[in-house]
Amino acid sequence: MTTEVLAPLPLPNELTAAFWDGANQGKLVIQRCNACGHFQHAPEPICANCLSFDLGYSAVSGKGSVYTFCIPTQAFHPWFEDKLPFVLAVVELDEQPGLKMITNIVEINPDDVKVGDRVEVTFSPLGEGFTLPVFRPAAQ
Amino acid sequence: MAKKNRVAIVGVGYSDVSRGSGLTLDKLTAQSSVAAMDDAGIKPTDIDGVVVHSFPHQFVSSTHTAAMLGIPDVAFYSGNVDGAAYSVAAMHAIAAIASGSAETVLTLRTVHKAGAAGGAALLGPQRGIPGNMQFSMPYGSFTGSHWAGMYMQRHMAMYGSTEEDFGAFAIAQRKFAVANPTESFFHEELTMDDYLNSRYIAKPLHLLDCDYPVDSSSALIFTTEERARDMKQKPVFFDSWANGTTAEADFSLVRDMTHSSPWMAAKRMWSRTDLKPSDVNTAGLYDGFSFIAMQWLEALGFCGEGESGAFVRSGATSATGSLPTNTDGGACNVGRRHGANFFIEVTRQLRGTAGDRALPNKPEVGVVSNAVGGFAACALLTAE
Repeated sequence: MTTEVLAPLPLPNELTAAFWDGANQGKLVIQRCNACGHFQHAPEPICANCLSFDLGYSAVSGKGSVYTFCIPTQAFHPWFEDKLPFVLAVVELDEQPGLKMITNIVEINPDDVKVGDRVEVTFSPLGEGFTLPVFRPAAQ
Repeated sequence: MAKKNRVAIVGVGYSDVSRGSGLTLDKLTAQSSVAAMDDAGIKPTDIDGVVVHSFPHQFVSSTHTAAMLGIPDVAFYSGNVDGAAYSVAAMHAIAAIASGSAETVLTLRTVHKAGAAGGAALLGPQRGIPGNMQFSMPYGSFTGSHWAGMYMQRHMAMYGSTEEDFGAFAIAQRKFAVANPTESFFHEELTMDDYLNSRYIAKPLHLLDCDYPVDSSSALIFTTEERARDMKQKPVFFDSWANGTTAEADFSLVRDMTHSSPWMAAKRMWSRTDLKPSDVNTAGLYDGFSFIAMQWLEALGFCGEGESGAFVRSGATSATGSLPTNTDGGACNVGRRHGANFFIEVTRQLRGTAGDRALPNKPEVGVVSNAVGGFAACALLTAE
């Protein structure tokens, strides 16, 4: 008997559901303050820039650059055992200085990734109704 | 204006430390507390404050600890699960004594080796990932090793540092560990090949960049200068201390990974003293991962920005260098004490109880530090 390996799934809540809904529709959306226009990720109940509670989500271009990355070679969750090595990265989005997200870089040999590389969003099915926004080298 | 009480360290102690003794968190806590009281030459009734830092999933209560030790009534207590590990307990105790809230405070950090195993272990059987971890774990980011590898990569990209630079730190620190056989788990010197051939956990992070998970408890006792003068040990004093944080709470999302919270804490600490980096004779710099100690070397101004690798390679952090660093061997070798070992070792060096490991430069000023990323703390200790 084998045990099925299950993906680590997000547990959406009122703050985060729009992010996952957007990904399922092939859109990268990020929490944005309706009062001052400030983007923030991860989402919070208040805008750290102007303290407004009037927050929504806004689509972004999906373009950015690799701030940093590492190449995990040990899985700390069974889901990743057959995915090693992969690229775990922080991507800085073009919309706002310092607006960053944790993600994966795909469609490239891990050893060819460099800090500063231009990347664009793509979408990777996680299963069970979830899609992960991930990044690949930007088209020239 | 009332003068703040000057705060001294008067006792230090460890529990049994092992890779799996089966000792409970409470028993470890009791062991280190008794060792620190013995070192200070005091009894539980001499203590009127207890401060503990622990992981939320391995919580150790300060009020329960006081009761367990037969301390009849505490004037100050706090049990913390947030922030920069042992230094949180130290900072609370300093604040309590300096303000007159308590006179003699027992500070503790107790940890079981599984404590930092990371989010996957914390999730347990639960399927959905709650809170902000849902933006990291589905991507495979589960442990400190993941952000640590990314901090190293950023430093390498910004300054041209290499894996050999981080290896130089691991090698230099191991030399101290070999000279501390009763506390170190490792007894052979390292070569660069040993380091480079140790497996990657999250490239560029190697296994030998990581602290060593153990079951441990560490205790230090702080008191006022007046009381300290009457105690068994030569007191060591806090000259200056500070916390620092980044605007972003997530370690992976801080604005500038090569200038994270150690820079804020260091700047604040130096602004509160007349001492300068050149006055410091020994350092205990947190090495949960080797790059952390190296970020502290830069943040504290012991070397230029991006130059920690060259500084370590020069021998400056060795026993005969200008800044002997992590002279007990560091947490990579004596095991994860989550910051407390640096306060204990620098205290032993400054008061002259380091035995045959006493530094040839007879240090009079030491610096200690804890954590990186979103939150950090540091302090200057003086022999007088």
